[in-house]
Amino acid sequence: MDEDERALSPEETLRLIEQQGAAAVHRLMPNPVPHYLAWGVAWFVGFGVLFLHHGLAGTPYAPIPIGVALALLFGLMALAMLVSALTMWQLGSPVRGVSQERGVMYGFAWSFGFFAMWMIAVRFGGHLPDPERNLLWASLSMMVVAILYMAGGAIWLIRPMFVFGAGLAVLNAVGTAAGPGWHALLMSVGAGGGSVAAGLVLRRRLRR
Amino acid sequence: MTPELDPVIHAQARLRVVVTLNTLPEGDRIAFPGLKDLLGMTAGNLSVHLSKLEEAGYVEIVKTHRGRTPVTYVALTRRGRVAFEDYTAAIRGLLDAAVTPQPGDT
Repeated sequence: MDEDERALSPEETLRLIEQQGAAAVHRLMPNPVPHYLAWGVAWFVGFGVLFLHHGLAGTPYAPIPIGVALALLFGLMALAMLVSALTMWQLGSPVRGVSQERGVMYGFAWSFGFFAMWMIAVRFGGHLPDPERNLLWASLSMMVVAILYMAGGAIWLIRPMFVFGAGLAVLNAVGTAAGPGWHALLMSVGAGGGSVAAGLVLRRRLRR
Repeated sequence: MTPELDPVIHAQARLRVVVTLNTLPEGDRIAFPGLKDLLGMTAGNLSVHLSKLEEAGYVEIVKTHRGRTPVTYVALTRRGRVAFEDYTAAIRGLLDAAVTPQPGDT
């Protein structure tokens, strides 16, 4: 028929299977790097500013109004969520079926999770003094994120994603116990820095 | 020389099709143009190989419409997955047989 009907040796065949499989995975699987970088920057900058506002001992390190700090944090997180949604939906991907359905449900889990968290924080935050209210917002939102990362790891069997979520959950708990300043510092460096690092490591790995 | 290898899969072009489809999780399917671009084949060539694979019951071809445009989706059947696994195992078997020194061969 044509030249590719020529018989391959077992070595060549195995190499073909590996190369073609890797090429297909590379083309068809979503690239997770923008997702990790967007969340990393959002947390690093957002919680960093919140940390400067609170200070570790209760005295601010920089005169940043709380409204600005929170607007920055939640604004950047909303942007990061958009990046994740675009990653999940895989616009332009030729693949249809269960993995698309899974991605859509997972995306909705984020929306509903954040909606519920927002309602709880609005309702109870009003009864708290300022720094505690900020901590309520910050810790609740990070709890939702941590749980969804662990769930994502379980759904797609991505162990690093699960471990990252579990780490976030622990850091979030420790920070909440320690107070607003510590929480902001741990989230900025641990969650933000960790996510940027994960994104950079993944990018290097995927480029190879 | 290799009588036990599945002749449907043991052709370079069809092997590449099967390998690509096998990377999709079960329950997923890929649009024909997407598969064609990924493999760098012409539509005619890919069609011929796909119908051979379909005849063997290894792939499932679903023609549907998105709005008014007809779209064709392709997926590996369970039988196709098993056939590919068997094929890969057979290839590995051949390699091992070639590599492993015969007894008393030192």
